[in-house]
Amino acid sequence: MKFGKWLRQQMQETLPSWRDKFLSYDHLKKLVRLISAAPAVLTGKSGKAKAQFLYLLNNEIDKFNTFFMEREEDFIIRNEELQKRIKRVSDTWGPNGCHPSKIIYENEVRKLRKDIVDLHGEMVLLVNYSNVNYTGLAKILKKYDKQTGALLRLPFIQEILEQPFFTTDLISKLVKECEGTINAVFLMGEEEERNREVNEGTAVAAGDGIYRNTVVALLTLQEIRRTSSTYSHHSLPPINLPADFNLIQLVVQLNPPISIIL
Amino acid sequence: MEARPAIRRSAWNQLTHMGVSGALSTSTPVLQSPSEETFPKFHDSQQVSMERPVGHAGHLSSNSGVVGHIVSSPSIFSTDLHYSSISPREKQSRNNPFISKSSSSVSMPLPHSSPSGVFHSTVSCAYSKENSDSWGTDSLPGFLDFSVNTPVQNSQIESSSCSGIMAAEDISKHNDWQENWFAQITDDDALTSNWSDLLIDNNVTDLEPQMTYQVPKPSSMNFPAQQSQVPQQYPASSGEILPAPSREILSDHSKDITAVTTPSSAISAAAKPRMRWTPELHEAFVEAVNQLGGSERATPKGVLKLMKVEGLTIYHVKSHLQKYRTARYRPDSSEGSLEKRLTPLEEMTSLDLKTGIEITEALRLQMEVQKRLHEQLEIQRNLQLRIEEQGKYLQMMFEKQCKSGVDKLNASSSSLENTSAQPSDAMQVSPDKSQLEPSKAEHGETEVDPVKSKVASAECADEPIGKQKLPETEAPEDSEPDVSMSRSPPPPKRPKIKE
Repeated sequence: MKFGKWLRQQMQETLPSWRDKFLSYDHLKKLVRLISAAPAVLTGKSGKAKAQFLYLLNNEIDKFNTFFMEREEDFIIRNEELQKRIKRVSDTWGPNGCHPSKIIYENEVRKLRKDIVDLHGEMVLLVNYSNVNYTGLAKILKKYDKQTGALLRLPFIQEILEQPFFTTDLISKLVKECEGTINAVFLMGEEEERNREVNEGTAVAAGDGIYRNTVVALLTLQEIRRTSSTYSHHSLPPINLPADFNLIQLVVQLNPPISIIL
Repeated sequence: MEARPAIRRSAWNQLTHMGVSGALSTSTPVLQSPSEETFPKFHDSQQVSMERPVGHAGHLSSNSGVVGHIVSSPSIFSTDLHYSSISPREKQSRNNPFISKSSSSVSMPLPHSSPSGVFHSTVSCAYSKENSDSWGTDSLPGFLDFSVNTPVQNSQIESSSCSGIMAAEDISKHNDWQENWFAQITDDDALTSNWSDLLIDNNVTDLEPQMTYQVPKPSSMNFPAQQSQVPQQYPASSGEILPAPSREILSDHSKDITAVTTPSSAISAAAKPRMRWTPELHEAFVEAVNQLGGSERATPKGVLKLMKVEGLTIYHVKSHLQKYRTARYRPDSSEGSLEKRLTPLEEMTSLDLKTGIEITEALRLQMEVQKRLHEQLEIQRNLQLRIEEQGKYLQMMFEKQCKSGVDKLNASSSSLENTSAQPSDAMQVSPDKSQLEPSKAEHGETEVDPVKSKVASAECADEPIGKQKLPETEAPEDSEPDVSMSRSPPPPKRPKIKE
């Protein structure tokens, strides 16, 4: 599967408001082709094309940065609010709270769980966003260098590595923290649920949204890493998912199923 | 060229107005006229075959670095410059004041490795290094000093072709503005006369045709010695014009407050810098808000004052406060959860036990997937970082080799035949190789090993390198076709040096 296709798939399955924030890979690819096809005799022509290319790239990167930082800020706020909310719920309706109420508590906990899992998912998707775009940029630059014989890639990539959208350390940290919090939240009220009648495993109906998006993201990641027509020391090795983690099964469960050409 | 003096003067005035010291990209007007007038000239005098967009990123970068230091946004200028050549009238506002859009070629060999530390490694080794010594500063005064020296260097310039930096279209473009830049700084008369001389002499060298550029005097600097080596170095230099997209990222992200401006908003940069929030910063924010009586009652101004964080503007606080308020009063308003609500999972009551369990299980599954994705993303990211690091490392090795190669050429042509050169070369190569060994052990990417060892044993401008599996990083491979002319010295040397 080619990257362009993967990217389009990701964009299709992604949260709607994110759709236009991804790399305009196809457009840039066309531009690169144009540049390489154009007779590079006159300074003017190829210079212009290259300038345009750089300009576009810079624009894309700005787009990523802005979007990324905005989302990051949002996550920071939401994360903090959730923490507060957890505490509030626990203190108010929890077993040790001032107004213990099983029903309300469980309700709230349920809501909490969902929200926090969603937040976690969105954060991970942001990391995925960053990665997808970085990969796209790397590929475009590689194409450019290959087709025009330029040496744009290396320094440009070095620059990119320092861009905000690529430095996902904070988000990753938040994600890890979130996981810890989630474990705690899941423990909240879990005993109550355990006492209830346990239902046999049912198919999970996951619709649009985060869950679907993450599954798709994982799948495409796997695909991108599987093969490469130009395998070089710059290519990544195949993905290494745990054996028991059956992605295909998850895809099947999604409704409507994702059509991924594997 | 007659117009030049006038242009330069005005440009120079503008320059001084700008305030050189590391100014951010501002909305200063671009020097439009020079480009218009000189552009055609550039074409005329150009014999350059632009098909060789080899990166002189090194030079350029260093150049832009210097300029960038002043403008603090090499990328902006580079892209703006290019863009300006596309549509001189349109992108004026974006242009860096220093970038006169002249298209006349020139290499302003500002070797000073970019203060922003952007592309130091890509600089054509010898040239930049030597030049950097002479440059030293990145402020205008330095340039001025330089111009004083130019008359002396003129003769040297004439004998040499422009710095090897020249060549690629964009290089020429950069050179264009750099030339103007320089032109503005230096004395008009002296330059003019010398330029015509340079033009005449520029056909001489075995360097790329681009050498016919008019070279500004100042560029002479350490020119003479390096001239002959420049061509060889040319292939070695890598990288193109500075892409540095958001080069305006002035402070590092590790700090709490990072004002990040975007190139596209060069003009409005001051008005809308992007701030990168951190949890600590947010905590301080929440503290301040609480002190002021809650998110509804708090005002941006008050919060700003209370927070007492340097570099924070009211604009930042305002937008953050808005987000904060939204988050508080609509805790479930995240997009994802909204979408999730479309699914049946959302519609159930607390009394529905089965569904409750289902939901929990669904959530667990979701968590599982998310965790895996995150894991894989982390791994992928680390791999990508390492790959780039390796590429950089290889590049450095290359340049080291280049430098050593250039130094040898520097000595004299006879040194090529000198047997004493061989042992030193061999010696140089083996330490390089040994350096590669540990890194080889480090990285498990076996396909790189044969490549690396070959790199170590080859010269920078060496053709065998081109045949190796180094699609992206190695300059020689890419620049191979264009360097054919300048290859004469290296090839004979190769057999002797090869291990």
